[in-house]
Amino acid sequence: MLTEELVDLSRLQFAVTALYHFLFVPLTLGLAFILVIMELTYVITDRPIYKDMVRFWGKLFGINFALGVTTGITMEFQFGTNWAYYSHYVGDIFGAPLAIEGLMAFFLESTFIGLFFFGWDRLNKWKHFMVTVLMAVGSNLSALWILIANGWMQDPVGATFSFVTMRMEMSDFWAIVFNPTAQAKFVHTVSAGYVTASLFVLGISSYYLLKGRDLDFARRSFRIAAGFGFASALSVIVLGDESGYTVSESQKTKMAAIEAMWETEPAPAAFTLFAVPNEKAERNDYELQIPYALGLIGTRSLTKTMPGIKEIKARNRERIENGIHAVVALEQLRRNHDDKAALAQFEAHKADLGFGLLLKKYIVDVSQATPEMIQQAVDDTVPRVAPLFWSFRFMVALGFLFLLLFSFALLYSIKGNFIEKKWLLRWALWFIPMPWIAAELGWIVAEYGRQPWTIYGVLPTHISVSNISVGNIYGSLAGFVGFYTVLLIVEMYLMTKYARQGPASLGTGKYHNEKSAGGALPASAPANPI
Amino acid sequence: MDYETLKLVWWLLIGVLLVGFAIMDGHDMGMGVLLPFVGRNDLERRAVINTVAPHWDGNQVWFITAGGAIFAAWPMVYATAFSGFYWAMMAALWALFFRPVGFDYRSKIQNPAWRSTWDWGLFIGGAVPPIIFGVAFGNLLQGVPFHFDDILMSTYTGSFWQLLNPFALLAGVVSLGMITFQGANYLMMRTEGDIYRRTRSASLLFGTLTFITFALAGWWVATGIDGYVITSTVDPNGLPDPLAKTVATAAGAWMTNYHTYAWAKWVPIAAFAALATGILFARLDKAGLAFWSSSVACAGIIGTAGVSMFPFIMPSSSDPRSSLTVYDAVSSHLTLGLMLGATVIFMPLIIFYTSWCYKVMWGKVTTEFIAANDKSAY
Amino acid sequence: MWYFAWILGVTMAVLLASISAMMCDARECALDEARTKAANDTRRG
Ligand code: HDD
Ligand code: HEM
Ligand code: HEM
Repeated sequence: MLTEELVDLSRLQFAVTALYHFLFVPLTLGLAFILVIMELTYVITDRPIYKDMVRFWGKLFGINFALGVTTGITMEFQFGTNWAYYSHYVGDIFGAPLAIEGLMAFFLESTFIGLFFFGWDRLNKWKHFMVTVLMAVGSNLSALWILIANGWMQDPVGATFSFVTMRMEMSDFWAIVFNPTAQAKFVHTVSAGYVTASLFVLGISSYYLLKGRDLDFARRSFRIAAGFGFASALSVIVLGDESGYTVSESQKTKMAAIEAMWETEPAPAAFTLFAVPNEKAERNDYELQIPYALGLIGTRSLTKTMPGIKEIKARNRERIENGIHAVVALEQLRRNHDDKAALAQFEAHKADLGFGLLLKKYIVDVSQATPEMIQQAVDDTVPRVAPLFWSFRFMVALGFLFLLLFSFALLYSIKGNFIEKKWLLRWALWFIPMPWIAAELGWIVAEYGRQPWTIYGVLPTHISVSNISVGNIYGSLAGFVGFYTVLLIVEMYLMTKYARQGPASLGTGKYHNEKSAGGALPASAPANPI
Repeated sequence: MDYETLKLVWWLLIGVLLVGFAIMDGHDMGMGVLLPFVGRNDLERRAVINTVAPHWDGNQVWFITAGGAIFAAWPMVYATAFSGFYWAMMAALWALFFRPVGFDYRSKIQNPAWRSTWDWGLFIGGAVPPIIFGVAFGNLLQGVPFHFDDILMSTYTGSFWQLLNPFALLAGVVSLGMITFQGANYLMMRTEGDIYRRTRSASLLFGTLTFITFALAGWWVATGIDGYVITSTVDPNGLPDPLAKTVATAAGAWMTNYHTYAWAKWVPIAAFAALATGILFARLDKAGLAFWSSSVACAGIIGTAGVSMFPFIMPSSSDPRSSLTVYDAVSSHLTLGLMLGATVIFMPLIIFYTSWCYKVMWGKVTTEFIAANDKSAY
Repeated sequence: MWYFAWILGVTMAVLLASISAMMCDARECALDEARTKAANDTRRG
């Protein structure tokens, strides 16, 4: 039995494990390229300090990477364990990018990360640099394929439904790969990763600068982070705008909810800066608007209108009523594949099959659905407005703050006097967690905003789950929470320990605390590790 | 390529990925199983761990990719098996959690209690997954209680404890033995001195254990377990629909392929032969040859399970017609073809750069090396 | 064609950041280094 409790628990477990996985992902994506930058500078200039930089930031990279891998395995298997019907229904399309991700990206990333850490003495510097590049490319390719998969969930192109196999089947692979939604998502998400890593390096370097230690090390790291971070902060905004555009093309419901836009407004619509959405009355109790702005962002024209929630609901009601015919015909076809009349009826209504399936939440035989059930299904088609509205605004606000921060950082690093701007250094240090918050909010917008669908317009969340007992999920959820809590504590402990120690943790004998502490090198440090 | 050929090719390819997993991830999991026993102090243990330090993550991707490939090529198997074996999957998953963290964090803190905790973590991460996968195969051979409804939603009707039946546990031991044998032979190539001597004894022990339990399991399948047969005609080129056939159980049915196809019997023969030569080479201190032998043994053992059940992948004991086979659990023609293309392009590349990586890092890992590279080694 | 933009963008950003670091070598970091060196020399001496 697919009870509401089962569905909610499955969703909760997915949300917890996915949001947790994404704590480690952005830093991996971005730091990998920052390591590339540092090592590139090393191979060009041959200054050992850059090698120390690669190795020190690499250490932090490794601590983060370990949990990225740990939590990633969960994601890979959770579709089978907890979303079995989903896996059956769309595996033909969704499985392919996941498998290609393994073949093309994970192997590359994971094989070369070993050489990255342990190959210093065995590879010449150019070869080692190539290894670092391949590792960075590998990690970003993994983001590419998983976001193609996720992009398809948001905007299911290149696939058709087959009633014989009772699932979606791929019809055009390249349409899936070059799906505009997937493209926008990919560039926006990896840029978010670059921002995260840049701010991480910027903030920790600022900490050393504030303490007045390891200045030559911290200065260079700061400059690299400032340059790379500025470019990334700029692109995250431009590409976020692109993401918003694809959303308003393919997911009008999500867009209307993000904007708390209840009524269809004459074009070009106003952008609501601030509002208090009222779900019951379907209006905003208070709002502050910028005229024309939304129409320009969402449709890139002055004349196209964007539908409001009420209009969308009215359309969805028609689609649900149509969808009932599709579901009924499908059930006849499942019993007898050769039923011509059923086939004709199915063909006529199959575009709305997913909408018909929405009613399965309330009744098994959808042809018996009452008007109240239909009304409930209609209401379901729009996610709750307030969480989306606020998550989105927080993310965007943070995005602009990052741009501001990195603008200052870049400006003063060009001038060369950032070390005196204590306020900037403090700002960078205290802002380290913010990109994580922005990224998690971004996922909440993207995924919660897609509800009630797992595959937008095709497969309702409600029937995507595995048909297992809720006890199972209570157990596994408790296990995940327990494991993940312990792992996070351990990770944070190591991360702070090594970040505080700074480059001295490499044991080269050149850095803060190594010489001043008693003057002698620590006994365990090799004279020269090369 | 026509649909039927693709279906068969994918049966083979999933097999190749599973064998790749056993050979590659197997040797570092085997390392984990042996770690607490062949390394008697911190330096020795670190030497053992560092034989796989640069490679374990790449090796683990064989496992991840096998999972992804099953999702893409056999979505119904992925959905049905993973949700059916829910707790077994969770246990395997959680055991795997110990590996990345164990490898990466263990030597970052000096405290001996901390380090020994993670050594046991690596032990769990090495021992539990092979046992579970062995148990899973043991259950597949006996059939699993599940069925599909009208819309092809699967429901597993058994319990977790039911998976732990005697035959399945025996299969778990075969699998653990095979992986540990593999790990011991690998360690023999990469260590010296005391550690080498201890791993050599482990290799002899686990090689023999695998040989005996594998023979026992084979005898059990031949005489004590009912296999499954398809009793209706199947169109191998047809659209996959598991409910379109009828299936019955029959004593000794898992042996029919060995009668039908002359080549089939070479698979188990290869497994036994490779186990025997593996033990012999380990005795003769020919670590490299022992490793290649145990790798062939992995292929032989996994191949034997596959060939015995062919064309079944996941027979259903409670509703036999719901059984999943090579012909009706698969993805569409397009997806299979596409994935084959991707595999043909990337597999050789992967094998190439993985070999290069091993070549660069090759050599004995000694305790002296660890002492000298205290900060950079695991 | 966002994939293409990504390849180009990342390459440019990497090069820019690297150049920015090398500017540091040429200018204020050089000063830093001289200062550290002097400090070490006095401590050792
Ligand atoms: C935007 C990027 C992104 C997103 C949305 C996801 N991942 Fe992830 N994943 C990565 C980016 C990434 C990465 C950057 O490549 C990781 C993160 C940290 C790491 O070590 O590699 C990784 C690691 C990682 C691993 C371990 C790989 C290894 O051993 O090297 C697996 C199996 C997965 N992921 C699977 C998934 C699945 C099934 C997801 C979807 C639900 C998912 N990830 C979402
Ligand atoms: C790692 C980054 C991701 C994060 C942080 C994330 C976040 C979330 C969140 C918060 C939910 C819960 C929504 C709700 O229940 O209201 C969710 C659900 C879901 N997401 Fe994602 N998601 C991520 C990536 C993905 C990817 C890449 C996929 C597919 C490849 C995916 C597929 C799903 C599915 C199947 C569900 C469950 C159904 C649902 O409740 O929507 N997610 N995710
Ligand atoms: C002005 C700035 C920004 C705009 C206009 C913007 C826009 C968007 C939009 C519209 C989505 C939803 C896409 C969908 O539903 O499919 C989204 C998702 C997301 N955002 Fe942003 N965003 C901005 C800043 C940021 C920042 C600063 C970060 C993190 C550092 C971030 C991280 C994410 C992530 C991880 C997702 C989920 C993945 C995705 O759907 O692309 N965003 N963003």
